Parts: sequence; structure tokens; C-alpha cells
Amino acid sequence: MVESFSLPLRPPTDKDERPDTLPVEIAQINNQWGSFREVNEDVLRAEIAKQKKPDATPSEEDEEEPTELDATERREQLYKRRLEITQFAVSVKHSSHATGSQDFCVKPVEYRKAHQETMLALDFISLLLSKHSPRQAETSMSPLLKQLAPLGSLSSDLVNAPPRTEATLKDIATVSRGWRMQSFNAVSNKLLNAATRLNREIDSETKYWNEVIAVKDKGWKVCRHPRVRQALAVRYGFIEATPAFRDRGLASLQRSNDGSLVLDQGLMPTSARYVRVQVKQGQQKWASSKPTGTIANETDPIEARILQARDSVFEEELFHELVREARALASCGVTTRENLIGIPVADDTEIMLDLVDIDGHDSQSQEALLRENDSIADGFAHGIRIMLCFAHRQNLRRRTQIPRPLTTARPPIPEYHLLRPALAYLQHLTLVRSLEAYFSDIYTVLRSAGLDLPPWNLQTCVGWPLGSVGKSTHSLEALVEKFLRPVESVFSGDLLTPRGSFSVTIRTNFSAVPLGSIYEVSFQLPTVSHLKTPNRVGLREEAEAAITHILLLDVVSAIASNPISAAPGKTEPQKWVPIYPPLGELLLPHSHPERHKKMKVTLTRHDMAVTTYLVNSIDGVGRGVQELRMQGAGAHVCKFPRSSSESSLDQGSEALMDFVAEEARRQSRM
Amino acid sequence: MHELLLFASVPVHQHYELLQQLAGLTAMQPRHALERRLVYKAFRKPGLNTGRVGGSQDLQQANAADLQRVNKMLNGGMFYTQVVGPVSEKDFAAAPVKVTASELESDTQMAGMELSNPPASVQADTAATYDFDRQPWKLDFRDIPEAATRSAVTTRVMASAALPRGNIEPSMNAWGYGFVTEYVVEGDIFIHNDIVIFLHRVLHYPSDEKEPREPRRSLPSLKKMAPLEKTGSYVLQASIAVQDGSNQETMKTASQHLLGLREQLKSAVRLEPADRLSLDTRAK
Repeated sequence: MVESFSLPLRPPTDKDERPDTLPVEIAQINNQWGSFREVNEDVLRAEIAKQKKPDATPSEEDEEEPTELDATERREQLYKRRLEITQFAVSVKHSSHATGSQDFCVKPVEYRKAHQETMLALDFISLLLSKHSPRQAETSMSPLLKQLAPLGSLSSDLVNAPPRTEATLKDIATVSRGWRMQSFNAVSNKLLNAATRLNREIDSETKYWNEVIAVKDKGWKVCRHPRVRQALAVRYGFIEATPAFRDRGLASLQRSNDGSLVLDQGLMPTSARYVRVQVKQGQQKWASSKPTGTIANETDPIEARILQARDSVFEEELFHELVREARALASCGVTTRENLIGIPVADDTEIMLDLVDIDGHDSQSQEALLRENDSIADGFAHGIRIMLCFAHRQNLRRRTQIPRPLTTARPPIPEYHLLRPALAYLQHLTLVRSLEAYFSDIYTVLRSAGLDLPPWNLQTCVGWPLGSVGKSTHSLEALVEKFLRPVESVFSGDLLTPRGSFSVTIRTNFSAVPLGSIYEVSFQLPTVSHLKTPNRVGLREEAEAAITHILLLDVVSAIASNPISAAPGKTEPQKWVPIYPPLGELLLPHSHPERHKKMKVTLTRHDMAVTTYLVNSIDGVGRGVQELRMQGAGAHVCKFPRSSSESSLDQGSEALMDFVAEEARRQSRM
Repeated sequence: MHELLLFASVPVHQHYELLQQLAGLTAMQPRHALERRLVYKAFRKPGLNTGRVGGSQDLQQANAADLQRVNKMLNGGMFYTQVVGPVSEKDFAAAPVKVTASELESDTQMAGMELSNPPASVQADTAATYDFDRQPWKLDFRDIPEAATRSAVTTRVMASAALPRGNIEPSMNAWGYGFVTEYVVEGDIFIHNDIVIFLHRVLHYPSDEKEPREPRRSLPSLKKMAPLEKTGSYVLQASIAVQDGSNQETMKTASQHLLGLREQLKSAVRLEPADRLSLDTRAK
């Protein structure tokens, strides 16, 4: 840098070293050493030897000579002056002696004059000395002077400096030349350093501003820092976020020494963090995948660091809002600890949310990674983030409405709905699956009994547009809004009874109280028109019981409506009469009072049993203790689905209707 | 309810720039607004008992308190009031609702329309018709600004009440108001925290028409509307509403908010309180 700088700032030192022209040098040598004629080897050797010797003594003599000379000269002068004074005094004395007899009267006058002058001189000297030794000088001062002039009011100085010797002048000249050279050197060094520094500054400033412009061109909002007036800042936060997080979305753009941008986020932790979603099912655990492409080091371009800062702010806001919401959902079993939210979804499934560093590896979650269940955790993670973005948009909408009149009480900010939609969906899905399993179980039982039940069908998440959705803002927001509404699924199917049908609607609502799921069971059964629908049922067991009951009624009415071919010898066909349909009891009346035959159908999720026995009462309608079961009237039991041993024993009646007809025939034979 | 206001005049060449600045300040897009404003003047019916004792006591509705307050204000002195009806751009030069839409110059500009306003049925089936009978209205009462307030903002009592849709002439007449004139206000609304910033100008109906004695049932083309101020300059109105005007603390907060906005906009426009007598709404 110094070399490349073109301004001649250094003193021209090289000028002295430049070789003179030859004639000048010859003239110089002639002047200094005399003619070349006397130069021979011996003389030169002697000269060299003389130069080599430490010539301390002659030089010292040379140095001291002028000072000595100076001192002696001065002393001589001093002596000379003193001599002059004494001579003068003597001459005065002589003259006074000579004139003593003649001018006797004049003598006191002269004397007084001299005394006066002496006193004046004394006063003068005293006043002069009073500056340095006032106590001593005061004693010799006249009182008049003391009044007139304060002590120490006169000072002396050497005005006419003693003439310097030539050697001293030469010294001074050399020293001052040396000083001057040194100063010039220092100044030029400073100037050159300053120039270098300025150049470096220019370079780094250029780099800094280029990077700032690059950031601005990428679309980031660059502004003056609101608190530090001299600094620039970039806004990467979300303007609709909670004020605490909105203000954090601003980092000043500092310049490092080499001019590169430094993103100064103040006291905020710089490590990237994210909300991890873990799904725990029994002993197994699955974690959501990490967000991609947001981990930035100090060496990464500024864009990546800004992105990371933005993502971190977003994630921290997300967790903050999740904790807020989780506290509000405490009644649903959601637990919050310092840095962990636990959400029970189903019987053995729990979702856990925590805020962790991106680079911090977690051995627990790495252990048992099954890809297919990652999708739930990932879906949950995406879901809550989408909901936060949606909440931001809602904030914008709320903010741009005409505000309410100012009052003293500010309306509280409600919690965002982040967990609730996801929670509703997961809970709903669990319930739908469980009811689906239930239906498939009980339908298997009924079909194994040979009942030709029309298949049931299921419509999950009614009203959710799962097809393509327009890309405009409004349609996207409308789409997300749909997820905030109650989730609804409908099971429906036809029954064995003609014109009979049932439908079960599961509705899960987490957006408004009451939180949770309800079942709405409704059915159409013409044979038992007096039965009311149970409507809203809160518990899964109750809902299942209701469905079982409906199906039992249906089976009973199917048995009752099934005509049995008339037994030989009888004219009218016999019929099972449903006497207590809710209990699954039917009666086959007989003319003999002790030959009434009763059939009892029991239906559970896993099996169906049909029992027939004779009852011993007049009309056979008694129940419980009044039922009067015949002693030894061999009860026939038929169970569905048939186990393999049973089916091999009794080949005859495989289906329920066969069994029913068989029993009827048996009775008529009696 | 009280209203605190500051005004500024914006020359037309500065309008676009100011729109941008305000959009930056409030971090929102301007919301275009067009309003029909009908001016009504109170008159005393001969022999009318102004007491109206117990007249409003049987109103057991949700807005009974509002109506009562408005009634009280209406009967206290004689004031001019305004009836404000939001309209959209396509309502101008649109045929009355009876005429088929195909005959008209179709206007596909749907964006920037008032979200809350024109009724759904009008929006849905008649793209270029103006149905006066479905026009929503709002009664806006403004008192004369308070005198001798040391604060550097205009303060006045205000009240608003929703009116029935359609023709409000009979109701207004029944309440003792006579139609005076009407004009249109066009502008853009910004919201900055609690402050409503309305950059607007007044448009007059074409002067060649005869001034009708009642509200118009159809609107002329927007292009034919002439600004009241010939140069087309705009008025910037920053207002903030306060629920309880007797609460000094809220009033102070509100005026501080307004003055803060004035400081923020200092380099762009000069917001000032308006001349009190120019906002006089009393009917002499």
C-alpha cells in the first residue's frame, strides 16, 4: 500500500546518497586531502588504520575543546571586568584623596549622592531578589519601596544570550535536522497509514453497502434501526405476530472489520430452533422431521442467516402460542411443563411438542424410526405452522377493520387455534376408526349367521374439500377456515327390515365449548315405531350399545317377519311373535299351555347367541321369575359365528333362519 | 361517544405519493370507499310536542339505548345530520334494478369493493344494477366541535345509528328531518392502531341535472361527478373515536395518539385542528 502510493511524502533521503559527478568529487578530495600526488599506499594504509582505530580520545578532545575554551574565555572576561571595577574604585579613591583638601564642602554632597545611588541599587537588587528569596530580600529593602512595590514584582531574564560557539551551533543544527527528519518520517508514516486505512475503509464500506443492497434486492425490508439511529436494520419478522415477537423480527446490520455484514440480533440466541413434534404410541416414539434449509453458520451468506433468524423467530412464536393455547386446553388433558407440551390423543397415543435446537441430535427419537408414522408427526408439525400463518392473516384482517371506540379496557387477545384443529382431527380419526372396527366386527357376526345385511358405508370428514383448491388468497383462507369448524363423519346403512335404516354421526368440535366429540345416532325402524332415537351420546360405549340395540331389534323383527313354512298337517303357517323385542325375546305360541316355545337372541360385538326353550305358563309372556321355564325342556343353543367343532357336529343349521325354522318345526312336531 | 380529529389538505399531485406513504406507515393496502351522503336538516313540526315522554321506553331491543341517545340528541337542538350510504364503483351509471343487465356497459372491476356492504343478492345476480331499495344507510350525527379546548385537536360529540335499508325519506320526515342535498365522498381508508385515516374528497353530482327534492334512485356515471374543490385536492382526516368522552384519561390517550401521528407525518403533511365554526352543524 505504502509503495503503491504515489504522493511523495517522505523526506528525500536518497538525494544525499546519490553519487556526485566525478569532477565534483575530485575537487572535494583535493580540498579535503590535498593533491593526489602525495597519495601512496603507505599513506592510505595509515589512513585506514587511523579510521579503524577507535578515535574516541581525539573526538572527545574535539568535543570538549570549545566548552573549555568557552569557560576560560568567560572567566577571563570576568577577571577583566573585576579589574576594571577595582581600577575605577581606586581611581575614584585617589581623586577623592587628591581633591579632599580643596572641596571639603562638596564631599558630603558627593557622598550622599553615592550613598543614595547605593541605596537605590540595594533596593533594586533586593526587589529583584525578592522574587526568589523574599524573606532575605525583605530585610534589605527600604520601607518606601515596601510600600510602593509588592514583593516579587520584578523579575529578571537573560535577554542577550551569550554567543554560541561554532561547535554548538553545528550540534544544534545536526540535532534539529535529525528531529526534523524524524518528524517528517513520522508525519509521512501517519499520512500513509491514514491513506491505507482510508483505502481499506473504502473497500469495506463498498463491500458492506453492496451486501446491504443485495439484501434489499432480495426483497427484505431494510430500514433505519428505530433505537440505534446510526445503524441499519433488516426486518425479517412477521408484522402480524404478537408484539413481543414482531419487535424481535428486526436485526441491525453491523459491519465487521473486513466489511462483511454481521446480523446483530442483540441478546437473542443465535442457534436455530424448531418445534419438534413427537408421537408416542405405547413404548414407541416418532419424531417429526427437521425443517430443511434453515441452518446457517457464520460463514454462510447473509441471506441464509436472515432466513434462519426468521425461521427461529417463527418457531419461537409458534411455541409461545402453543403453550398459551395448551394452558387454555388444560381441561382436555393437555399438560404443559417448562418446555414440553403433552397432548393425549387417544388411549395410548400422546403427542409431545418441544422446542429444541436444530443441530442438537436426540438419540431417543433416532432409535425407532418407522417411516410411516412419521407422517402423522410431520403432518401435525405442518398443520400447526399453517394454522399460525392463518392466525397472522386473521390478525391482519382484524387490524384493518374500523377499530372500536377507545375505552379504558382493552379487549383480551384470544389464543390462536393452532392445536385445536389438529387435535380435533386426530381425535375424530381415532373415534371413526374405532367405530369402523366395531361395525366391521358386528357385521361379521351377523353375516356369519347368514343374515344378508346390506353393507354400511362411511363418509369421513364431510364438507372437507379434498380436491383441488383455487390459488387465490380468499379460497385458501376459506379452506383453512373449514378446518376450524367441527369435523363430522357419518356412518350409514340399511337394515334387514324394509325401509329401515340407521345413521351415526360423529362430530368433533374443539373450536368452541363444549370441547370434545359427540355421537348422533338416529334410525328408522318401522316395526318399533314407538322407540325414540337416542340423539346425542357422549361416550363411545354408549354409542356402541345403542347401535347393538338397533341391530338386535332389527334381527328380532327379521326373525318375526320371516315366514315359516307350515308344518305338515297344519293349515296356517306359524310365526315367531316378538314379545319383548328390546330383550330379544320371541315366542312361538302353542295350543297347549305348556308347549309355548321361547327364543332369546343376544347380540354382542363378537358373537350372537340364539337360545330356545319351552316355557310353562298360560300364554308364555311371563318374564324373569314368572317365566316358568320347563324343567328338562332341553334348551337349544345356537351361537354365531360358529366355532369349528360346533359346525362339524351340527351340519344342519348353519344360518340363523334355518335354525329358527328348524326350531319351529320341532315344536310343531310335538 | 366522542370523536377527535385532525385535518390536512393534500394537493392532487401529492395524492399518490401520500397514498404510498400511508400504506407504508399503516402496513396495509388502502381500502377504497365511496359513500353517498345525504344532508338532512331538522325542522320543528308545528304543534309537535318535543317532550316525547315515554316514547322510547317500550323499545326493548338491543339498540334501544343507542336510539334513545340519538333521539335525545335530535330533540335537544336543531342540527343538520348526514345519512351515509356506502356504495361501490359499479353502482355508478348502473341502471335501476328492473332493467336487464345485458343492456348496460358491463363493469368487471370487482376488486376493492366494500366487503361489508352491498347485500349479497345484489352482488350475486345484478352485476351492473343499482338497487336503491336495498341500499344500506347509517345516520351520522356530529355536534359542533367543543369550544375552548386547549388540546391541539378537534373534539366533538358524535353518534351513529343504523337505518333501515332502502328509501329512508319517510322515516326521516317522520323524525322531523327534511332532505337538503346530497353528495358523494370518494377516498381511501387506512387504519393505524386506533386511528382511522380517511383520505377523501367530495364529489358533486353533475350540475346540468335539476336538483331533486329527494334522494336519487340512480347514480350518474362516476366520470361525470365533479370534485367540489376544482383542483381536485384531497382532505386527509385522521380520527379516533372515544366511547366515554367524560373520561379524561382516555381522551388524553386518544389525543396523544393523534399528535403522535401528526409527528410521524410531519414531513409529508401538516395535520391541524379544523376551524370550529366551519364544522358547525347547527341549523339556524
